[in-house]
Amino acid sequence: MKRIGVFICHCGVNIKDTVDVEALSEFFMSRDDIVHAEDYMFLCSDPGQKIIKKAIAEHKLDGVVVASCSPTLHESTFQNAIEEAGLNKFQMEVANIREQCSWVHNDKPAGTRKASLIIGASIEKLKLNESLEPTSAPLTRRAMVIGGGIAGIQTALDIADAGYEVVMVEKKPSIGGHMIQLSETFPTLDCSQCILTPKMVQLAKHPNITLHVNSEVKDISGFVGNFKVTVERKAQYVDPDLCNICSDCSTVCPVLVPSEYDEGLGWRRAIYIPFPQAIPASFTLDIDNCLGLSPIACGKCAEKCEANAINYDASPTTFEVEVGAVVVATGYDLYPVENIAEYGYGKYPDVVTSLQFERILSATGPTGGVVRRPSDGAEPKEVVFIQCCGSRDPEHHLSYCSKICCMYSLKHAKLYKHKVHDGQPYIFYIDIRAGGKRYEEFVQQAISEENVLYTRGKVARIFNEGDKMVVFGMDTLTGKKVEIRADMVVLAMAVVPSYGSDELAKTLKAGTDKHGFFNEAHPKLRPVESLQAGLFLAGACQSPKDIPDAVSQASGTAAKVMVLLSSDRILHSPIIATVDDDLCSGCGICIGTCPYGAREMDLLTRVALVNDILCEGCGACIAACPSGAAQQHNLTDDQIANMIRVIALGDE
Amino acid sequence: MQLPYYPGCTLKNHAKHFEDSAIAAMERLDMPLVEMEDWVCCGTVFSMSSDDLMLQVASIRNLVRAEHQNLSELIVLCSMCYNTLRRASDFILSDPENLDKVRKFMYLEEKPFDGTVEILHLLSVLRDRIGWEELGRKVVRPLANLKVGGYYGCLLVRPEKYAIDDFEAPTIIEDLLGALGATASPYPYRLECCGAYQTVTNKDVTVQRTYELLNSARNAGCEAIVTSCPLCAFNLDQRQRETIEQFPDFDPMPVFYFTELMALAFGANWDPEWTKLHFVNPEPILRDKGLI
Amino acid sequence: MKEFEPKIVCFLCQWCTYAGADLAGTSRLKYPPNGVVIKTLCSSRIDPQHILLAFTEGCDGVFIGGCHPGDCHYQTGNYKTQRRIMLLKTTLEQLGIRPDRLRLEWISASEGRKFAETMKEFTAHIQELGPLPKANLTEE
Repeated sequence: MKRIGVFICHCGVNIKDTVDVEALSEFFMSRDDIVHAEDYMFLCSDPGQKIIKKAIAEHKLDGVVVASCSPTLHESTFQNAIEEAGLNKFQMEVANIREQCSWVHNDKPAGTRKASLIIGASIEKLKLNESLEPTSAPLTRRAMVIGGGIAGIQTALDIADAGYEVVMVEKKPSIGGHMIQLSETFPTLDCSQCILTPKMVQLAKHPNITLHVNSEVKDISGFVGNFKVTVERKAQYVDPDLCNICSDCSTVCPVLVPSEYDEGLGWRRAIYIPFPQAIPASFTLDIDNCLGLSPIACGKCAEKCEANAINYDASPTTFEVEVGAVVVATGYDLYPVENIAEYGYGKYPDVVTSLQFERILSATGPTGGVVRRPSDGAEPKEVVFIQCCGSRDPEHHLSYCSKICCMYSLKHAKLYKHKVHDGQPYIFYIDIRAGGKRYEEFVQQAISEENVLYTRGKVARIFNEGDKMVVFGMDTLTGKKVEIRADMVVLAMAVVPSYGSDELAKTLKAGTDKHGFFNEAHPKLRPVESLQAGLFLAGACQSPKDIPDAVSQASGTAAKVMVLLSSDRILHSPIIATVDDDLCSGCGICIGTCPYGAREMDLLTRVALVNDILCEGCGACIAACPSGAAQQHNLTDDQIANMIRVIALGDE
Repeated sequence: MQLPYYPGCTLKNHAKHFEDSAIAAMERLDMPLVEMEDWVCCGTVFSMSSDDLMLQVASIRNLVRAEHQNLSELIVLCSMCYNTLRRASDFILSDPENLDKVRKFMYLEEKPFDGTVEILHLLSVLRDRIGWEELGRKVVRPLANLKVGGYYGCLLVRPEKYAIDDFEAPTIIEDLLGALGATASPYPYRLECCGAYQTVTNKDVTVQRTYELLNSARNAGCEAIVTSCPLCAFNLDQRQRETIEQFPDFDPMPVFYFTELMALAFGANWDPEWTKLHFVNPEPILRDKGLI
Repeated sequence: MKEFEPKIVCFLCQWCTYAGADLAGTSRLKYPPNGVVIKTLCSSRIDPQHILLAFTEGCDGVFIGGCHPGDCHYQTGNYKTQRRIMLLKTTLEQLGIRPDRLRLEWISASEGRKFAETMKEFTAHIQELGPLPKANLTEE
């Protein structure tokens, strides 16, 4: 049997006034199962700790109950003290007789009775406490970042700057994400490409970063600190190291394909560079549209390439990367505009999406930054911007607010006004959400100085009459119907998780919300981690975000990753689930209850396993275990039962 | 195959040509319409204006009688009757308490209401049972060169739950007209309200609507418009009398029921009695296109 | 006769309700001393068998405190608890134990007052119900 000592703190008068500490120490001293008991004015003080340490040595104690304030205050203090005295820190229990006893009761006899029960229950728990050490596992000090938009770029740079290796995986032929498509950024109206391209170049040149474009994550195994990620890279027909981006190949390519970069408003060839500042700076061959890789079919580009960078025999490759942490930064896409049939997108070329309008405004866009409408190239004199296309419409589309549309629609209106001075922008809105640094000022300035006309209401329908787009709407402030004959309509489409991220979420076993956005571990306090240990989130894959928010989160994510990678072993609390192999029936109920994927079945022995690193110790699986095979270290069913018995017995 | 149908009051007087042409057309498709017995007024959309159970009794009585006549479905032509019957039926069936009350109130009826009768609009029957291609093959007198606009108004597509087609971008009328050989041009106002019962107390509202609506159709190249609602037809056709007076630039335009054009396309002859029920005489345009 | 002093065991999750109980203490809010706390990491650690044991061993009431829906430190633990408690309450009834002797409340770390009020109210309620009959006696 354990040799247990009980130490009762007066906490000055805080405990002593309501709890008869002397009587209690006498009472516990008299118990057969207690070797030593004493009370002292301030146990947390240095002399107080010395008393405990001395008693451990003198009475050969191997377990200590300290009855004092809440364990949130001094549990670690007393743990350190008994460790210094040579005991394992789990051989100490705090009995909370201040916050949960002396401070909340007035009656001294009753307070004393309750304190004795609290201490008695703690003694019962301590009797069965095991000595434990933190579990640990080795760790690969390398991170993977999935997605090369602004959030992924920022995360990768921050982690790499701290000295850790980063592997970036990007699905498209170049990094840059949606931000590289944007014209200017709100609220400062600085050029998006000008602020992004230096970061892209920095990433490409960073000695700690390996970049894989045209690549996708196909599988992941292992756990935090020790992931093995399988990456598939599409066939690399153009060697980026040899390509000198002379563009001879695309000049001879006979195929025209709508350009993804220009959102279908411009054209590219089947062999092309996504945009001039692409990283890696290389042409790429779009196999789906190429006439055929055999020189008999076409082969013009390879013939023309003086650098011999084109290799038709390339094939897809699959490789495995070992990393300690994975960051998801897969960003967003726009809600399918076809879903809003009444706006006539596709039927009317002058109804465009917000990203298309970004390209029309952009100096590198299909019109060279001159505002022209797609149908006839005329300069639109009246442009209607419609916010919340698909957002905030739980009945038919998406229930959530896409957050960035209020600001970018206004930015569009302003930039349009700056380029077409006699033009008239109209904005239909539900609410103007300008919560951000200098955002509200940006709105007010546009209304008062730039004559941007806001109409509160939704647009019911868009139709063409001659070369005009007729926009039917409702001004909900006046209750009147509004009809605007515009030259062009821009739809601020809702933001959705990027296409394909649902597949990725399944591969990574990461949770998503009902809209497909990745779930953070805690909505307020752990916003950059996912529930899967070692899996982190950055940017719009978690929720719609503007650039400042995405960058802040990215840096936050990088910091969290760096904490994880900062030691070469990963430590974890030992207060976790365990399984008694002999009792386990292999029913697998525990596996479904675990929110962390820490429980799995050993298929050979049909015994449920616990991953010591993933288990957070909540105990949900233990309560669910029908055979009592699952237990929690130092909070076993027996310990709980014994504590219950103390409380149930009361002072009988 | 016979189709049990519910005409409703208007189809027996002001919109007699709607009923007659429908019967003629469906006869030629070998799907004759057979009028249900003992029907009464549907209650009209007024019954939908409040949650008063008693206002639904007229609709429910029709459905009870249809059940009693062993009808499993009821084909409706009038948009308003269609809408009212379906919504009344749903309103009662969606709440056991409502159902119980209505049954207790109607205990003298032949049968308790069970809600087994499916209420269908003729347009959806044409689409779902025959199909546009098959309909096209049955056309003997194609409406070639006839440029018409479909007019939905509200009751075919609102509320969303009872819409016979995509409630924001329906094509069912245009699809039918296309199958009949006509050119159907969509125009901005095809889903806008005609003014409905404002025509009784606030006539000018409907006159204004008629003016905007028909001009919108004309600007889209339509020579006539096509509807399935007697109230819409009244507002858009009969109110052209006042529209001409108030808007000197207004050019009258004939308003058809879709069944009139179906009857012609499937080989029935135009009945001069139908012309009498139109305000704007449709005969000149039909003659012009060689349809009569 | 001495007033009946019920014996109540309180299972509190350490992230929310245990911290809420601590806050009641630091705020010096007073409540009856009948409830004695057993701390768990999460309310989902509590096995219905623990609750049944408490009743068979002589407790008159069992209180469980967890995080508000959506606030669980372990994401979904409190939902599991809620389901288990709902099921257990029907079982309690079959066993002849009034289900209102078992109380589940969501109390956050900032709700010290709610904790104190709940303790007062629950203790008074159990006091009113009287002691849990020892042998197979069905309560009204």
